[in-house]
Amino acid sequence: MSHVLAVLEQREGALRKVSQEVVTGARRLADAMSGEVHALICAAGAVSGTDVAGRCGADKVITATHAGFAQYAPEGYTRAVAERARSGYGAVLFAASAQGKDLAPRVAAQLGVALAADVTDLAVEGGAVIVTRPVFAGKALLKVKVTATPAVVSLRPNVFTPVERPKAGAVETVTVSGDAGRVVVKGIKAAAGGALDVAEAPIVISGGRGLKEPANFKLLEELARAFGGKAAVGASRAVVDAGWRPHGDQVGQTGKTVSPSLYIAVGISGAIQHLAGMRTAKVIVAINKDKDAPIFKVADYGVVGDLFEIVPALTEAVGKLQS
Amino acid sequence: MKIAVCIKRVADSETRVKIAADGKSLDEAGVKFILNPYDEFAVEEALQRKEKAGSGEVVVIACGAAAAQETIRTALAMGADRGVLLETASVPADGLSVARALAAELTDGGFDLILFGKMAIDDYNHQVGPMTAELLGMPCVTCVAHLDIADGKGAAEREVEGGMEEVEFPLPAVLTVDKGLNEPRYPALKGIMAAKKKPLDVKPAALGASGLEVLALTPPPERKEGRIVGEGVAAVPELLNLLRLEAKVL
Amino acid sequence: MSFVPSQFQPPLPVDRLILKEGVEGAGDKMELDVLFVGAGPAGLAGAIELARLAKQDPSVGELNIGVLEKAEALGEHSLSGAVVNPRALRELFPEMKDADFPFRGPVAKEAVYLLTAGGQVRLPTPPTMQNHGNYVASLCEIVRWLGAQAEALGVNVFTGFPAAALLTDGDRVTGVRTAATGLGRDGQPLSSYMAPNDLTAKVTALSEGTRGVLTQAWLEWQRVGSENPQIFALGVKEIWETKRPLDRIIHTLGWPLPTDAFGGSFCYPLEPNLVALGIVVGLDYGDAGLDIHVLLQRLKNHPLFRPYLEGGEMVEWGAKTIPEGGYYALPARRSGDGVVVLGDAAGLVDVPSLKGIHYAMQSGIYAARAIFQGLKSGDTSASRLAEYDRLLNASYVVHDLHRTRNMRLAFKSGFYAGGIKASLMTLTGGRFPGGRIAMHADADAPRRSNAVEPFTPDGKLTFSKVDAVFKAGNSTRDTIPSHLVVGQDVSPEVARFYTHLCPAGVYEEVDGKLRVNAPNCVDCKATDVLGPRWTPREGGSGPKYKRM
Repeated sequence: MSHVLAVLEQREGALRKVSQEVVTGARRLADAMSGEVHALICAAGAVSGTDVAGRCGADKVITATHAGFAQYAPEGYTRAVAERARSGYGAVLFAASAQGKDLAPRVAAQLGVALAADVTDLAVEGGAVIVTRPVFAGKALLKVKVTATPAVVSLRPNVFTPVERPKAGAVETVTVSGDAGRVVVKGIKAAAGGALDVAEAPIVISGGRGLKEPANFKLLEELARAFGGKAAVGASRAVVDAGWRPHGDQVGQTGKTVSPSLYIAVGISGAIQHLAGMRTAKVIVAINKDKDAPIFKVADYGVVGDLFEIVPALTEAVGKLQS
Repeated sequence: MKIAVCIKRVADSETRVKIAADGKSLDEAGVKFILNPYDEFAVEEALQRKEKAGSGEVVVIACGAAAAQETIRTALAMGADRGVLLETASVPADGLSVARALAAELTDGGFDLILFGKMAIDDYNHQVGPMTAELLGMPCVTCVAHLDIADGKGAAEREVEGGMEEVEFPLPAVLTVDKGLNEPRYPALKGIMAAKKKPLDVKPAALGASGLEVLALTPPPERKEGRIVGEGVAAVPELLNLLRLEAKVL
Repeated sequence: MSFVPSQFQPPLPVDRLILKEGVEGAGDKMELDVLFVGAGPAGLAGAIELARLAKQDPSVGELNIGVLEKAEALGEHSLSGAVVNPRALRELFPEMKDADFPFRGPVAKEAVYLLTAGGQVRLPTPPTMQNHGNYVASLCEIVRWLGAQAEALGVNVFTGFPAAALLTDGDRVTGVRTAATGLGRDGQPLSSYMAPNDLTAKVTALSEGTRGVLTQAWLEWQRVGSENPQIFALGVKEIWETKRPLDRIIHTLGWPLPTDAFGGSFCYPLEPNLVALGIVVGLDYGDAGLDIHVLLQRLKNHPLFRPYLEGGEMVEWGAKTIPEGGYYALPARRSGDGVVVLGDAAGLVDVPSLKGIHYAMQSGIYAARAIFQGLKSGDTSASRLAEYDRLLNASYVVHDLHRTRNMRLAFKSGFYAGGIKASLMTLTGGRFPGGRIAMHADADAPRRSNAVEPFTPDGKLTFSKVDAVFKAGNSTRDTIPSHLVVGQDVSPEVARFYTHLCPAGVYEEVDGKLRVNAPNCVDCKATDVLGPRWTPREGGSGPKYKRM
């Protein structure tokens, strides 16, 4: 029997959504180890929304408080998490978020154990934690057995879908003493201008030659707006070369590699060099008038037909859905 | 300014990945190896910091196979002063092993800055830099996309979800750098000539035990055959339903 | 409708390619003793031989030898069949055995077929095409190996630096200027801009490979002619990982080529399940709609090849021209004041035996010997470097080309008549028909525009040009200025001709106008022969061949 420590995140005193995924992953491990899930969160005081951790399967939620923990404090957090982890856990789980990618290696180093980072699958076999993680830009999967104890693992965001597994979620607060550390986060400056980069956007809508002329990209921009600031507009090499769109928007081998949760290819035939830049998208939608276009071979969902009719209809439908 | 840059020799990301006969590693036949692109930003930053300071030394350190000497020469050709290869037949999957070897080399080095790329494009481990910092007991900021240094103190910006985190830290420090920090230079002809004469020490890497055992390297599952939802505008409601209920992306 | 390509071809921009030494615009300057332009088999063999001579005879002191290469890394712009005759490697490395060379394996079995659309007839292997004692190899791998040998001898190999112009002083070649890096599409410097470098040397060896741009400029500038103009073929090649092993090298003639085109295909096993497959077609073909990339795609569907390839994976694609003019197209001299011309740049290819690599290396070896004598005597003038021409003329290289001097030229009259004449030439040791068959340049051969049968690739066995370029590893920066010089008033008919000619999809006819997708270019030089001129661009651009 081993317990699992799930390391949660807060921002401005509220639990971050990605933490539910960590609790869900931890629950899966704890069940296989016949242990409990203890969720740990570093904060300056009470954190709102931690009750959701109990709903996702945490037996206990521990808030480690320190006056210097309002913002992420790399060294203070590391000390707090490592100290707790040393009290005897079979595994310590993080989200491979911006914070988790920074914190997990520090904690692992403090514990003197390996870190299996950014994993997409997690299991226990013969008492050992086995993880799968994408390597070589998603072109291969590495299956690894964690031989060190505790098994320190970070989970790729958006992979471990939160599952409701209500547990007691007993609440505990511990006060962290000492210094918050030499590295001090002053704050978070919001991303400028709202225009999302295609490489970062959770939804990418790309256009190709099928749009016929540069002005028609406004159809895609309208669709992007309908998604409420989560979508960016990309372009194929052909239209970038033709000067219709800036080079920074190009998706493909010589442009940007994107892996959004949703990629919508509009009027793009699907040359390999374009596919190379978007094939790791979670879900691919293709809209093209040519039913034989190679893009349909990689698309999860295809719509054959006139994009000049389909895209506005989609924009309208998405708009209704979002409101 | 005395700066160390820890670099890695990696398979080019354009490489088509073929699994070796052991089922656990990359088949290296026909694979091109390059200096990890994020490490190029680190080397460039080190060179610019040294140039700005007017004096100092830039030392590049790699942990890897003998062939990584080529990679070190690339960094020397860009302008680094000397190189160290911590040689090992293969780089272990456990980043902490590598961090231990690097820390053993870096400790007592008297460096003002120790720079890394934020991650390697082969293993996506994202961890050797901060682990090394912890082993050395040095302050560390990861994924630095903007950097100001003055009077023994640094201010950095790093990308987080929805914005840029502003961080302050004292020197000496370990930083891992992101793209956008600078524009790496190409090696100049004179740099390439000079690189041949720059010192490059080769010593065995003190890796220690690995806490990760590689079981298998496999190709990702084929994308399952997609389907044509329908034709024209009539297909839009069904498409939206599938995205919401089946794919769960909306 | 018919037209003559040369009427639409712009002249070679000689004023940009021949510069006075010291002209402004350069960043770094570097002085070398000897500079080889192009790290192919010719340049690297020359550099190796020269470095060895200098080590054996220290009287000239330490030589500073440089090799410039436009590819980002060694071998990435090298492409050949290839079945290699080991003769020159043996001469260059007398202490080594064949097993030490970077070959994939000896030629065990070989077969020649005449193809029809659905079948094949096995032919007796012509004497010129017998490959017993030769080796299957990847030229990329040979070049990487030679590069390592050269560097171990202290040669400076600079990859990613294309030579963009010859530096001159009077009639003397004094070095080269490299291409600038970091220009925007409008030709203005970006923040990553690096100025050209001037490299000066006592001798500049042009080992640029096929259709070398500085070689062309030097020949034109110095008015060095040849009895026949040089002619070219274009080869398009793929590498396949196959499910079914291949145990022999295969050559084919006939289908899918029209009878008025000269060429054939090859299929060589690098490993039993790793196969190089390609097609080579002379650029004097008559049908303006002929598309050599598409011919290779069609060839793969032939019952001779399809069973090997089906279920396998195309892992690499590439294209390159081959100088085919042979003996009568050799430049009257391959040396001048401060300069020598080697290998493919000089046209040292024997078409009937499909060989050029060992001639290229041999020319490098002879050039090194002549250069070394020149350096020893402190004289690298034209008369001193003419020793290179003497060595080459007296060697098996020129002898081999002389023996087959009219064989390729005979095919000007079509495949079957050519085949008969070629057989007679083989029987008579090259004496039939006597004299020289005159030839005009490929660009002067008229083209007919016929209806073109469309071809739709299936993405599994056959591929579009855009996909092919991806498989060439081409990741040229999209925003570099166009390096292709297009003629004035290109008619839609000629635009379509370029579209079919270019295997990499650089040219497209869109609404009657020519569109140029310059970053697609894989430096094969086909349109440099028949249309738009190729000029050097930013280092590291173009393909990244691995096992071509």
